[in-house]
Amino acid sequence: MKKLFAVALGVLTAIGGFVDIGDLVTNAVVGARFGMSLAWVVVVGVVGICLFAQMSGRVAAVSGRATFEIIRERLGPRVGGANLVASFLVTMLTLTAEIGGIALALELASSVERRLWIPFAGLAVWLVLWRVKFSVLENAAGLLGLALVVFAVALFQLGPDWDELVRQVTHPSVPPDEAAPTYWYYAVALFGAAMTPYEVFFFSSGAREERWTVEDLSTSRANVLVGFPLGGLLSLAIAACATVVLLPRGIEVTSLSQITLPVALAGGKFLLALVILGIVAATFGAALETALSTGYTLAQFFGWSWGKYRRPAEAARFHTAMLVAVVVGTLVLLTNVDPVAVTEYSVVFSAIALPLTYLPILVVANDPEYMGEHVNGRATNALGLGYLVVIVVASLAAIPLMVATGAGG
Amino acid sequence: MSPRLRRAERASTPEEPLPAPPRPAGRVLDARLHLLDRQVVDADGAPVAVVDDLELEPLVTAADDGSAGTADGVPTLVVTHLLSGPVLLTRVLTGRPPHSRWHRIAWRHVSDVGTVLRLGLQGDALDVLWIERWLREHVVGRIPGGRRAPE
Repeated sequence: MKKLFAVALGVLTAIGGFVDIGDLVTNAVVGARFGMSLAWVVVVGVVGICLFAQMSGRVAAVSGRATFEIIRERLGPRVGGANLVASFLVTMLTLTAEIGGIALALELASSVERRLWIPFAGLAVWLVLWRVKFSVLENAAGLLGLALVVFAVALFQLGPDWDELVRQVTHPSVPPDEAAPTYWYYAVALFGAAMTPYEVFFFSSGAREERWTVEDLSTSRANVLVGFPLGGLLSLAIAACATVVLLPRGIEVTSLSQITLPVALAGGKFLLALVILGIVAATFGAALETALSTGYTLAQFFGWSWGKYRRPAEAARFHTAMLVAVVVGTLVLLTNVDPVAVTEYSVVFSAIALPLTYLPILVVANDPEYMGEHVNGRATNALGLGYLVVIVVASLAAIPLMVATGAGG
Repeated sequence: MSPRLRRAERASTPEEPLPAPPRPAGRVLDARLHLLDRQVVDADGAPVAVVDDLELEPLVTAADDGSAGTADGVPTLVVTHLLSGPVLLTRVLTGRPPHSRWHRIAWRHVSDVGTVLRLGLQGDALDVLWIERWLREHVVGRIPGGRRAPE
């Protein structure tokens, strides 16, 4: 019974935790411009993140080594250091986007200017990091994030032409009024949104925080393999809402209010309130995860003591790093950058940085010195190598596509 | 980095000559693979540092007069200290920091080499942790709640 509860809780938090500001914005932008013709990318991304999270969780549980410790050990200080800089900057960018997302959602709820909410959002994120236990912060944010299910409810209430939606999913093609490079640019963005590197830092370090052992592997596998695909369905529901409401009207998504417009149209004030609650929870949860990830990556690279299970004073450098990261993210937002634009860049840079973390995990998951009998099986390795190709291609294509399309212009 | 090396670190050398150890005795460690860039934890399992570099010295045994070396004249090097801190930067950019800035952990404190290097002592007093201690005393420990466990 206890185990069943653990699985149910894990699955629910995985669903709520899957969607962050990157998924929200990118899926809505893509839905409003390309309909469901990029839905296949979400599927590819969800399978990829399942594979990747499952592998890094297993490595953390069996060997007791979190992702960045392994990156340092395997790649040495030079390549590992370059990796740290890239991963850290991408995570900082994502953290900035998430704090901005909290402020945008609060602005939508209160009509109070977002720049007034930004310092408050940053402070709230830091306070939770400082005082709240790991399991509580992980579960509470994930469960509240489930409120985003209203996107699916709204889709049913909108009563779309299901045959048309399914046709777009199963017969993807570049819409006639869009250029092919733009289509592929958004494909990379969507892939980066589903497979953000911070999720893996968080997942593998979280396994250490919760002291996973080999016995917990089946629970974690169930959480990942059920929770993330359902989270992916939620992403698709966001894209479908945009396809049904925004695409025919020619509305381009440039703010959070447009993302929530289909929900408001379908369900009025009640659903709108729920969706704003869901967005606040999802972005808040993701802000916590990204802030923790900035601390995890630095601490693991330099060998500092880290973890929420220690008192802050016992992990002083770790907590100082997170404090600085939250302050910097908040200050960047106060310069009046547009959080939606920050988000769009953060998902593309996530795709660019992905091979840096993926490859070392794949190598170590095959190393018997770390993994003993729990090394990757043949099927996992075949899939893992296939995804290595996909990830490298997406990463290499991202910058040329960004230049060619003027970042999606 | 074989048992030979650990014996050399012993405080006192026994007087009677010991039989030569069988050649592939113990674990053979590769400094790059097993020592460099590994996490170091203290006796309680708390992280201390990552091995940023190693300090090597020619092996000097009681038998010879200091002109240490094997028959072919190449000195046998042994690891005397694990280094951490600013040496990381110079390992990446080449060069070496002034001697006074090296933060050392003596090799004799290493009690186990596995996926992590375990020390046989408490980490709190080690020089390599001075930044951690400074931040604890002056920043993190002073913010309310910093010394209590999260709830």
